[in-house]
Amino acid sequence: MTLAIENSSPAATKSRWARLGRTLRGLFSTSLATSALRIRLVALLFLGLYGLVCGRLVYLGLKPEPANLRRAAADAVAAARPDLLDRNGEILATDVKTMSVFAEPRRLSDKDEATELLTATLPVDAKQLRERLGSRKGFVWVKREVTPHQRDEVFHLGLAGVGLLAENKRVYPNGPLAAHVLGFADTDNIGVAGIEKYVDGQGLANLHGAGFELTAETLQPITLSLDLKATHAVRDELAKGIEHFKAKAGAAAVMDVNTGEVVALASLPDYDPNGSPNIRDKELINRLNVGIYEMGSTFKALTIAMALDSGKVNLNSRVDARSELNVGRATIHDYHAMHRVLDVREVFVHSSNIGVARMALGLGVEKHKAFLYKLGQLTRMRTELPESAEPMWPRKRWSEISTATIAFGHGLAVAPMQAMMAVGALMNGGYLITPTFLKRSEEEAKKNAPQVIKPETSEAMRCLMRLNAEMGTARKVNVPGYFVGGKTGTAEKSIHGHYVKNRLFTTFMAVLPADKPKYLFLTLMDEPQGLPETHGEATAAWNSGFVTGEIIKRVAPILGMPPRADPTEPFPTLAKLGYGCSVTPAAASASAAGAH
Amino acid sequence: MTRLFNLLSVLVLLGAAGYAYTVKYETSFRTEQIAKAKLEIKAEQDGIGVLRAEWAFLTRPERIQKLSERYLDLGPLSLAQIDSFSGIPERLPHADAIGDKIDLLGLGVASTPSADPAAAPATPRTKGGASTKTTAPAR
Repeated sequence: MTLAIENSSPAATKSRWARLGRTLRGLFSTSLATSALRIRLVALLFLGLYGLVCGRLVYLGLKPEPANLRRAAADAVAAARPDLLDRNGEILATDVKTMSVFAEPRRLSDKDEATELLTATLPVDAKQLRERLGSRKGFVWVKREVTPHQRDEVFHLGLAGVGLLAENKRVYPNGPLAAHVLGFADTDNIGVAGIEKYVDGQGLANLHGAGFELTAETLQPITLSLDLKATHAVRDELAKGIEHFKAKAGAAAVMDVNTGEVVALASLPDYDPNGSPNIRDKELINRLNVGIYEMGSTFKALTIAMALDSGKVNLNSRVDARSELNVGRATIHDYHAMHRVLDVREVFVHSSNIGVARMALGLGVEKHKAFLYKLGQLTRMRTELPESAEPMWPRKRWSEISTATIAFGHGLAVAPMQAMMAVGALMNGGYLITPTFLKRSEEEAKKNAPQVIKPETSEAMRCLMRLNAEMGTARKVNVPGYFVGGKTGTAEKSIHGHYVKNRLFTTFMAVLPADKPKYLFLTLMDEPQGLPETHGEATAAWNSGFVTGEIIKRVAPILGMPPRADPTEPFPTLAKLGYGCSVTPAAASASAAGAH
Repeated sequence: MTRLFNLLSVLVLLGAAGYAYTVKYETSFRTEQIAKAKLEIKAEQDGIGVLRAEWAFLTRPERIQKLSERYLDLGPLSLAQIDSFSGIPERLPHADAIGDKIDLLGLGVASTPSADPAAAPATPRTKGGASTKTTAPAR
């Protein structure tokens, strides 16, 4: 604003001073007339300044906290997972805080010394550690999950650039119990299998990825359908059975037929999810969900239900089982041939292959296929568990022979859990309810469940199951007080495309109580051996049936079902329709030895 | 007058400043306390988590079964031991054979005036000879 002018006269200087004075006066004058513009200018300046300050404040307010070490490490730290509880609130999986040692290589002054000190206190490989510390990363793990003692020692080393971080470690207090359902989480607490993986798939992983800090308090525990104590009892009885019958493997499950909840599940051999199990091992698969097997005679229930539901056959219908049945090149014969005409009850009770093959052929290949499709036996069944298996059936050509053999459970391999779903539908009044491993109510389960057979067909099937337990092949499970119904299933294992007589796969399904079904029990055994007390027999009734009986005796009270007197009129609809639920005594005694 | 006013305003200012500082210090003190309490809560919660896990580990059915097999005389619950309330017979009328005999002899009237039936050792017998009564299954 002042001008520097060199050669100037005194007069000019004087007038210049005066002008300067005027300018200054004008600048500081508050008279609007002389300085309105300038005041406005100054006001604008201050406005701008304050605006800047305000803007900065808002910016700082909105900006996330500056990234400190803890934040940077948050990605590396094992995230919190929700607790998994059984249906009664017992813990199946939970998080425990552990300490882990980390290092910031950039802040380490002497890496060799640090390596030396750390290897002296922690069980880590010196060479690997030196390599990691030499990296240019900002953050490396030295050792995960150290003991409290090691933690203190590392703390006392006082190394700059080495620190401790609290982490979540997943623990499964019950060890191998229900391991196939729970799956497990790896060191980074990411679900690798089972429900753990399912939980991650439900958005937990996404939340972690988006940077939400999830703590145990913000996560709601997940309640499974399993009953811890029942699961233990089932596993214990199954293990005893497998040892006793020298089977290669086995599995057992209990399902609530009205809700589809799997209340107990055990598949042996199993693994401890607390270690780092090798789930690729074929022997350790969940045989109920991942394994597919020919279910044998258990499938006869499906065939008979189809025949009854079609209306062409009723309980009193008679089927010719006098001689072997020839279909194309194949000959179908009975394990315990009766050589006479049987009614539908007898076909089921004597487990007649010829009888059910005739029934299926009577309806035709297409209807048979459509029925199995409707019951979900030809498509992959999906539960919450990420592991599942595609059923195996003659996709290219479903011939008459296929129908005849599938009628008694050969030629179609399904996951046992899938067969449970179908048999459950035959029992519960006809609702096809997909099994679940999460707790749910009956209304919820039946909301989306299609009705696949008529309620009266279901009642007829329950009558057949009950008859079979009373006098047929399932007598081993006729636990007094529970009005049990059951069906055996023995399949010869197919090895290199041939069925081998002495290598059996035995299954057993039992429902209780047969009048108002609640629980469906399944036991299966892979290559059980005949024993002296079973007269060398290794068919389902002797081993899987026996084990199912033991399981029922032990588990039913745990599940809150006290024994009761048998119902006087268990099948009212059948009685109204005029069908009795009994077999002539002669036929019953004839079946005494039958166990197929 | 002005001087007094000035003096007063200076005093008020000092007072206000002092008050503001106390409030500020109080606040930061409380904040610290809250942070400490939160840390303590977190530590407690972690501790509870560990204890819960430990409890679940120690009470896992497999272990309990092993311990009970080794140290207890208890056997597995058999179905015959379960009965419903309706299955229990009514309590038998008070039967005290010795007392009756004493009464008959006309001796004990004075010493035992009308023996309290509730205190009498009634021995209800369940049907089927099962003497133990278990309503709740082992849970």
